[in-house]
Amino acid sequence: MSSHRISRSVSERVLNFTFDGRRYVGREGDTIASALLANGVRVMGRSFKYHRPRGPWGAWVDDPNAVMSVRLGTVELPNCPATTTYLEEGMVARSVNAWPSAQFDIKAGLDVFHRWLSAGFYYKTFMWPDWHLFEPMIRRMAGLGAVSDDVLENYVSEQTHDRCAVLVIGAGPAGLVAARKAAEAGEDVALVDDHRLLGGGVYQQKTLEGKTPDVWVAEQTAAITAAGGRILTATTAFGIFDHQLVGLVQQGAFGTAPKLIRMRAGRVVMATGALDRPITFANNDRPGIFSVDAAAEYLARYDVLLGRRIALVSNNTLADGTEARLTTAGATVIRIDPTTGALKARGSKRLKGIWQDDRLHSADTILASGGMTPTVHLWRHAGGKLDWCDNRQVFVPGKGPDFLTAVGAANGEFDIDAAIAKVREPETAIKTSYHMTPLWPQPGSKGRQWIDFQHDVTLKDVELAARENYVSVEHLKRYTTLGMAHDQGKTSNMAGLAAMAAIQDRPIPEIGTTTFRPPFVPVPIETYHGHHRGQNLHPVKRLRLENAHRAAGAALCEYGGWLRPGWYGAGEAKDRIRAEVLQARKAAGIFDGSPLGKIEVMGPDAEDFVNFVYYNTIATMKPGQIRYGFMLTEGGVVYDDGVIARLGPNRFVISCSSSHVDGVRNHLETWRQDGNDPDRIYVQDTTAHWATVTVTGPKARDIVAALLPNEDVSAKAFQHMTFIETEWQGTPIRVARVSFTGDSSFELSLRQSKAEDLWGAVKSLAEPMGAGLMGLEAMLILRAEKGFIVVGKDTDGETMPHDLGFGVPRSKKKAAFLGDRSLHTEKANTKVRNQLVGLQVEDDSGPLPTGAHLTNGDTRPKSQGYVTSSYLSPTLDQPIALAMVQNGAARMGETVTVWHLGETRNATICSPCFFDTDGDRLNA
Amino acid sequence: MQIFTCPSCGARDEREFHFSGELGKVRPNTTGEVNEEEWATYLHTQGNELGAVREVWMHMTCAELFVMERDSVTMEVLSTTPLRKDVS
Amino acid sequence: MRNDTARWPEPRSSELIELDGLTITPVTLDRQVLVSGTNALSKETLPLVTWPEVESAASYALAVRRDRVLRVNGPAVIDGWDEDAELAISDVSDGYRVFDIRCHDMDALLGYGGEVALSLPSRSVARLWFGFGTFIYRINENVLRIHVVDYQADAMIDALVSALIKS
Repeated sequence: MSSHRISRSVSERVLNFTFDGRRYVGREGDTIASALLANGVRVMGRSFKYHRPRGPWGAWVDDPNAVMSVRLGTVELPNCPATTTYLEEGMVARSVNAWPSAQFDIKAGLDVFHRWLSAGFYYKTFMWPDWHLFEPMIRRMAGLGAVSDDVLENYVSEQTHDRCAVLVIGAGPAGLVAARKAAEAGEDVALVDDHRLLGGGVYQQKTLEGKTPDVWVAEQTAAITAAGGRILTATTAFGIFDHQLVGLVQQGAFGTAPKLIRMRAGRVVMATGALDRPITFANNDRPGIFSVDAAAEYLARYDVLLGRRIALVSNNTLADGTEARLTTAGATVIRIDPTTGALKARGSKRLKGIWQDDRLHSADTILASGGMTPTVHLWRHAGGKLDWCDNRQVFVPGKGPDFLTAVGAANGEFDIDAAIAKVREPETAIKTSYHMTPLWPQPGSKGRQWIDFQHDVTLKDVELAARENYVSVEHLKRYTTLGMAHDQGKTSNMAGLAAMAAIQDRPIPEIGTTTFRPPFVPVPIETYHGHHRGQNLHPVKRLRLENAHRAAGAALCEYGGWLRPGWYGAGEAKDRIRAEVLQARKAAGIFDGSPLGKIEVMGPDAEDFVNFVYYNTIATMKPGQIRYGFMLTEGGVVYDDGVIARLGPNRFVISCSSSHVDGVRNHLETWRQDGNDPDRIYVQDTTAHWATVTVTGPKARDIVAALLPNEDVSAKAFQHMTFIETEWQGTPIRVARVSFTGDSSFELSLRQSKAEDLWGAVKSLAEPMGAGLMGLEAMLILRAEKGFIVVGKDTDGETMPHDLGFGVPRSKKKAAFLGDRSLHTEKANTKVRNQLVGLQVEDDSGPLPTGAHLTNGDTRPKSQGYVTSSYLSPTLDQPIALAMVQNGAARMGETVTVWHLGETRNATICSPCFFDTDGDRLNA
Repeated sequence: MQIFTCPSCGARDEREFHFSGELGKVRPNTTGEVNEEEWATYLHTQGNELGAVREVWMHMTCAELFVMERDSVTMEVLSTTPLRKDVS
Repeated sequence: MRNDTARWPEPRSSELIELDGLTITPVTLDRQVLVSGTNALSKETLPLVTWPEVESAASYALAVRRDRVLRVNGPAVIDGWDEDAELAISDVSDGYRVFDIRCHDMDALLGYGGEVALSLPSRSVARLWFGFGTFIYRINENVLRIHVVDYQADAMIDALVSALIKS
C-alpha cells in the first residue's frame, strides 16, 4: 500500500463502508477520500472524456477527480465529491463514469482515440447525415453520475434570513484572529467555515504561538463565543450578492438538504485561504499525484500518509515545511526542482515514478505545487478588482468595495505568522517568507499535459483554441470547456490563461481571468427553493365558499389564479356542463362571482380620475348606475374590461376581471400618484371583503324578489346596468343588475362572513324554481353565445377597442384618457386590423379548434386571424365560435378557410352575438 | 437581494418593489395636437444610462411611488426621495 | 379545465396550530376599517401602531403608509368619502384573516419569511412575508399579530408551517 494511515487512534469510532463493491473500514472524522486513501485505494474514478484512471488531487473543494455516487440507507445522491463528503457507517460509494468499477473500466479504450477527441471535436464530427442520430449515444456516454428516479423524501431546505455587523468567512488562523478581534471590540460577529473542524491549515503546524493547533484553535473559539460571536461550521459562503448579502449554505447529515441562510452583513472579512496549483507536465493527471498542500492536510487532519516514496515537485518555499513533516512521518522524500528540466509521470493506475529529462526518479507518489493561488471568488462577486503580483505570480485582491477586506492567504499572505500579525496590526509591514520561481505551461512541449482534469482539457487543446482564434480568455473557456465543470476551474483557470499568455507572448494579467460567478461550490437546487414546492410553489387564491362548493360536488379548477368550481356533480364533465347551461337559460344558474375585483376610487378628483383611466366616458354616470368599460394601456391596447359603478359624487367601485385585480390596483395607484394629485384621489381594494353570488336567467328576478321581499325588483323599477344598496337579514347588501350571460342577471354582494348564509338562502329559493348551481365552464359558454369577450382570450396584445366594435369614445370623447393618442396612429387605422367576429360551421365536424388559423385558402395559405373561443352551444344546439380576423367587420357572410394542423374546414363569418340579438332577454 | 429604502416605510427587501419607469417622462397633452414622433418617443424611448440613473419605483407593499437615484452599473443606491413635492 | 379537487386539501379550519415552540391562533376582530387621507395618521385618535412597538390596547390603528391606516376594533363607520374629514373609508372587516403567533424567538421566526427583525424599525406594519402581503406587529412581548388577505390566508399558513419543518 502506498497511501496508508499512520496512527491508530483508539478514540475515533470505526466506520464500515464499501466502494465499488468492496468493503473498507474508516473512522469518524474521515471523508470518503481520506478513508479510501488510508486503505491504499487511489483509483477513485475515470475522467470525463478519455476515461483515464484518476485519484484525488486535493483534500477539500479543490479536488476535481474523486466524484462518487453515494448511498446511505434509502437515500442515494449522485456526484458527491469524495474529499468533502464525510464518512458515515454503512455508506455505499460507487465511482461515476466507470463500469464495472474505477479500477477496471470498460471504456478505458477510448483513450486510444484521443487524437480525434480534442477540444471541440463534437463541433466538427457527428454531423452527417443528421446529428440527431448521434445524440442518444452521446447522451449516454457524456456526463458524470446518474440521477435516481426515486424522489427523496424529507429533502427540504430550511431557509432563513439573518444579519450581523461583521461576517468573517473562513476560520483558518487569519479568520479566527479577525473574528476574535472584532468580537472582543464589541461587534456582532458571525464566523463561518466550510469544515466541521475549524482551523484551516493550522493543523499543518507543529505549534502556533507556543501552543498545539487544537489548543490554539480552542482558545480562539472560546474567546469569540464568550464575546458573543456566533460560529457556524460546515457552512460555505457560496456567493456575495448585491448590497452586502452573503449566501451561506450549511450542510447537515448525509441525505438531508442543506440549510440556506441569507446573511446581510455590515462588513465582510474574506479569510478564504489559498489553493495549491498543479504543475503542467506530461501525464500529470495520474492517480497518485496530489498537491503538496493536500499531502499536508491528509497527514494533519486524517493521519494519512499519502505514500512511502514520495517525489515532491515544487517551485516554492511552502514545500519545505511539508517535506519535513512527511519525512518525520516516515516517508522517503525526493525533492525535485521543476524548473530545471521537463517532467513526465510514469505509471498509469499505479504510479511508478517521475522522469526529469532523461533521469527517472522512482516513486509511488508525486506531490506537485506550482505555487499558491488566493481564493478570490467572493472578492470578484462583490465587484472587487484583482491586482497581479509578479513576485508571487498570483492575482491578489486589489481595490474592492468598502465593506469587504481580505486577510491571510486569501490576500496573498501565505506565511501564517505574518498573516496573523497583519490582522492584529494592519498597518505594520510584514516581511514574508514565501518565495517562488515562476513556473507555467510551456506550449509546444512534448507529451499529453493536463490543464483541466474534470473536463479532460490538455495543453494541446489550448494551443488548438489559439490556432482557431479563440484567444480571449472567455472564448478559450467555452471552446475548450476548461473551467466549466463543477470545480469551476479551481485547479485549471490559472494554468489555462498562463498557457494562452505564453502562446500569445503576452503577460498573464493582460489575458485576465474569466468572470467569477456564484455558487463557489455546487449547491443543490433544493437549497434555492426550500419550501416553495408542491402546493407552496404556486398557491392559488381560495374562495370563502369553497367548503360549500365541495359539499355540492364541485370540480374545483385553477382559473385566473383562483381555485373555482368548473362544474358541479358526478358524471361526465361535458354532460354536467351542458345541463348547467340549459338550466341557466331555462330557469336560472347560481354562480360564485366572489373573485371579481371591487376596487373603490374615492375623493374630490375621483370622477376626473376614472374618466381619465377609462376609455369610455365615466363622468356622465349618475349614482346608482353601472357602466361597462375598457382600461387601455398607453399603447391603446385593451388591458382590462369590467364594470364601474358610481356610488356617489366622489365614489366609484371598479369591478375589474378577477385575474387582473392586483394589476389594475397597481395601475390605478401609479396614475394616481404620477400624473394626478394623490391627496384628492384614493384607491382602496376591498375585493377580499366581499362575496358575490350571481343569479342569472329568466327566473333570476323571481329568486331575488323572494330573497328581498321589501325591494321593488321589477323590470321597470330595477333596470339593467343599475344597482341598489339595501339589507338582507340585517347585513348590508349591494345588488347589481349586470349580465355576463345575456340573460337577466343579478350580482348579490355582501361581506364574506355572511356568504354561506346567502348562498344557502339563494339555493333553497332557487331549487324549487328549477334553478341550480353553475360553474365557470357553463358561464364561459353562456357569455360566448352572447358574444361577450374575455380579455386575453378573445383579445391579444394588439387589440384596440374599435376592433371590438366599440368606436364611439375614440371619435367622440374629448377629455384625455389613457391610450387616447395611440388610437389615431397609422397602425390603429389600417384596414388589416384583426376584428372580433363570430364563426358558423355547416359541416358535422363539431366545434372548431381554438387557435385554428383563418386563411385565404391558397395552396400556400397566409394567416388572416384565428379562432379565440369555440364551444358546442347547448342553447342553440350547434357549434359557435368567436374569432379575430383581418377586416372582419366588413366581411360578414364571407366564407373563410379554417386551418389546423394541416386539416382545413370552411366557416362563415357572422356577428359574434348568437343569442338574443335584440336584447329582450337581457332587459327583461 | 438588494435593499431599497421606501421614503414612507424605510429599508425593505427588493422583492417588495417594482420598477415603474424612468423619471422625467411627461405625458404630452393629448387634448391638443401631438405628432406621431412625440408620442412614439413618449411611449418607447428610454434613456437607459450607464451609471447614475433616476427612476420611479413603487413600493408595492404600501403602493407608494418614489424616486430612486442609483448606479445602474454598481447597483449602489444613491438616494430615495418621495415623488410628491411637499412631503418629508 | 382540469378537475384539481383532489390536488388541493380542504380549506384550513379555524383551529389552533401548535408547532415546535410556537402556537398559531386564529383571531376574530370586531372590525377592520381602511382609512386613507392626507391626515389619516396625524388626525387619528386611536393609538398608532408601527414596528416593532408593542400595542396592547383593544382598539388601535395600524400605520400602513404615509396616508393610510387600518383601524382595528374602532367605532363603527360609514363607508365612503368623508368630505369634512377628507378621508376615504372602507370597511374591510372580512378582507383580512388575522392570526396571533406566540413564540419566544421572534427574530428567528420572522427570518423564515423575509428580512424582518425587531432590530429593523419601520414606520409601516405592511410587509411582504413569505411572498404574501401582510400587516405584522406585536400585541405583546411574545405575541405577533398578523393580518393576511383572506383569500391567501391558507397559502400563507401553509408556507409558514412548511418552512418550519426541518428535514
